[in-house]
Amino acid sequence: MNRYEYPEVGEALYRESLPNGLTLLVLPRPGFTKHLAYFVTDFGSIHTDFTLDGREIHAPAGIAHFLEHKMFDLPGRDISAELASLGAATNAFTSYDMTAYYISCTENFEAALKLLIEFVSTPYFTEESVQKEMGIIDQEIGMNADTPDSQVFECLMEVMYREHKIRIPILGTSESIREITPEILHDCHRAFYTPGNMILCVIGDVQPDRIRDIAEEMLGREARSVGQKLRPWQEDMTMVSNRFHRQMEVAMPMFHIAFKAEPVGTGEAAIRQEIVADLAAEALFGESSRLYLNLYEEGLIDSSFGGGFETIDGMAMLLCSGDSDDAEAVRTAILEQARNLVSLGIPEEDFLRMKRSAFGRRIRDLDSFSSTCFRLCAYTLSGYDYFRFPELYRSIESSEILAFLDRVVTEERCAMSLITPAKEAD
Amino acid sequence: MIKTMELLPGVTLRCHADTRFKQGCLSFALVRPMNREEAAMNALIPAVLLRGSRNHPDLRAITLKLDDLYGAAVGTQVRRIGDYQTTGLSCGFMEDRFALGGDRILEDMVSFLRELLLEPVTEEDGFSRDYVESEKKNLISTIESELNNKGAYAMSRMLRAMCQADSYGIPRLGEAEDVAAIDTVSLYRHYRRILRESPIQIFYVGSAPAETVAGLLMPLLERIDRNYVNLPEQTPFHDAVGGEITERMEVAQGKLCLGYVTPITNRSGEFAAMQTMNNLFGAGMTSKLFTHVREKLSLCYSIGSGYYGSKGILTVSAGIDFAKEQQTREEIAAQLDAIRRGDITADELTAAKEAILSGLRSTHDAPGAIEGYYSTAALSGMGMTPEQYMEAVRAVTADQVAAAARSLTLHTTYFLKGVDA
Repeated sequence: MNRYEYPEVGEALYRESLPNGLTLLVLPRPGFTKHLAYFVTDFGSIHTDFTLDGREIHAPAGIAHFLEHKMFDLPGRDISAELASLGAATNAFTSYDMTAYYISCTENFEAALKLLIEFVSTPYFTEESVQKEMGIIDQEIGMNADTPDSQVFECLMEVMYREHKIRIPILGTSESIREITPEILHDCHRAFYTPGNMILCVIGDVQPDRIRDIAEEMLGREARSVGQKLRPWQEDMTMVSNRFHRQMEVAMPMFHIAFKAEPVGTGEAAIRQEIVADLAAEALFGESSRLYLNLYEEGLIDSSFGGGFETIDGMAMLLCSGDSDDAEAVRTAILEQARNLVSLGIPEEDFLRMKRSAFGRRIRDLDSFSSTCFRLCAYTLSGYDYFRFPELYRSIESSEILAFLDRVVTEERCAMSLITPAKEAD
Repeated sequence: MIKTMELLPGVTLRCHADTRFKQGCLSFALVRPMNREEAAMNALIPAVLLRGSRNHPDLRAITLKLDDLYGAAVGTQVRRIGDYQTTGLSCGFMEDRFALGGDRILEDMVSFLRELLLEPVTEEDGFSRDYVESEKKNLISTIESELNNKGAYAMSRMLRAMCQADSYGIPRLGEAEDVAAIDTVSLYRHYRRILRESPIQIFYVGSAPAETVAGLLMPLLERIDRNYVNLPEQTPFHDAVGGEITERMEVAQGKLCLGYVTPITNRSGEFAAMQTMNNLFGAGMTSKLFTHVREKLSLCYSIGSGYYGSKGILTVSAGIDFAKEQQTREEIAAQLDAIRRGDITADELTAAKEAILSGLRSTHDAPGAIEGYYSTAALSGMGMTPEQYMEAVRAVTADQVAAAARSLTLHTTYFLKGVDA
């Protein structure tokens, strides 16, 4: 496999596109016991509309997540038990724009990796098993309905976006999942669980060539066609509404405040935009920003406050969240501080310190297998080489940050979602 | 390998020298008995310390300092380990080798930690009133926001009811009303006392040798006027009447929590068997609860069990339809009975043991896991290294698992259901 060295971050990554289309990433970690493998498809909850072999398909909301649950079934076998007997833990998650399956183990890694590749590439859905899954996912939807952190975000997306599928919860709804059939699960699997739409990323004390051999042995050399996503959303910078409010059983009011930004696209320019936006978030309301400190000292936010730049296929936003007795005041303060930064600028010394701090945090984060694996996959899907972040940090200038804040952090692009404690019945 | 050094009476430094990581970790903890009188104060102290020191008197000065240290982090660390509560600070910082121009981060980090611990902002005879009041508000909000996570809330209500005579009923961060009653002078006095008297546990993971770390820490420790008082040993569960509790709230899904007691603690010879029993019963996707109650009967999305070895408490929690309470309870009981009868397949036993072994094998792969394992093991009285623990798990037989299951008695049941359900 091709080896790429990144001395500044102390990493060496092996990367290759296999003849079958699979993107393979191997990050050797000599001297570590743990192994982690992510098998990721570029298919998430927003990708319900696509064409496959000339046929147009509109799948019910929640299909990607439902499919994720069902992939663990194989005829007459219990994959979890087989992995468990190897000492491997397995799980999966579905996000708005990707689905990831992963295993971690200390011994028997190759056998576990083969099982991972096998179960994710083997569709097996029956009427009965699909019916049964509805009961389980219904409970998951119920749990989500009681989780204010999810509700506050999902409701914000519903008012902020007119067309983009981020308006719809990843899980779908009790009604939409009732429309799911084995046939439609098969269509989605055939369209997106094909090597050309997937990444396999391995971290651990491994021989990269062995991993490539296993991937080829399990997936073959032949490339298969990939479904074409329709992305039926033409999203401008306006919103359905800029406020959402509801009451729930929460201890204190919680808010999400977001600013709508243009989607970043893919490739090098996109990642630059992403890091610029990240630094803009840091400068605006990061833990060492004036705004954060003022709001904290005034008691308007507490340590639950946080935020950053979020990008998903076809959308992007600057988002912050926290608990506050006066979220309106937080919102006003953010808008004001953005204006201040834009008109006064960021002193060079502050900007360098901020970049150094962000750099150090990214370096420290590399100790986490799962975070590194996730970032490698997400950045690869966006067409960028994650480990090159040091050079990006060096080249970014504060004027780029200010231009971003000037464009995005405005009254017109701002929406807020609020959940307040349910009133006690007298 | 862990190197343990007694730096002063009651002051233990544990070092895991390791050059594989990109960050170093250093934690400093005072060990306290868990009780109502001081739990809230102990939880509040590190948050107040992080508000300012003499040289870095406010949040801005502190965060700028941390930014200069390449985005180092200092956080509060408050744990409950059996009858003990630990309170302190924990730091994460980039290894020196990634720094520009030979910057020395570890050295600076330790002196900054010394400042935060020993030179807080004070006024008259107490901590800064502003800082204390503001952190009291934050801590109360943290404690109360447990309500936002209905699963955690239900579990905490269950444990509270179950442990009326045991310190395990006291929440990790204390009670909100106790936080509200704290005043700055007595908080400062309490802090000075616990700095003098408590066992201190310091943990370092990183590339520096233990002797270097010890050398850096001595100026900090020598400034504390120590008068060490040893703590009583861990005790098993103190029984009180259990019961069945139902609470109603505006929720879409019911939360069922069961609390069992067992004489087997992490100090017992049967500990590994009980841990294996817990895994086989309710931890992970191959457990009996997951495969039967979720996969076969579709009764829930989330279900699992947890074993608190320091006390000998085993809990089960499930998120279910309001109408399925009775059926779920019967099914949980049936699965436990199956294990008690020895209805355990070789695959189930292997899977349960492998899950524990795999976790233990990878303990040394993450700085946080190393710190967590050794700090907790030493204080909880468990005392085994991961290697010794693995040996004990490998030796567990199905009969021992069944015997461990038979030692469990259902003590308390809690169900959170909808207002109109």
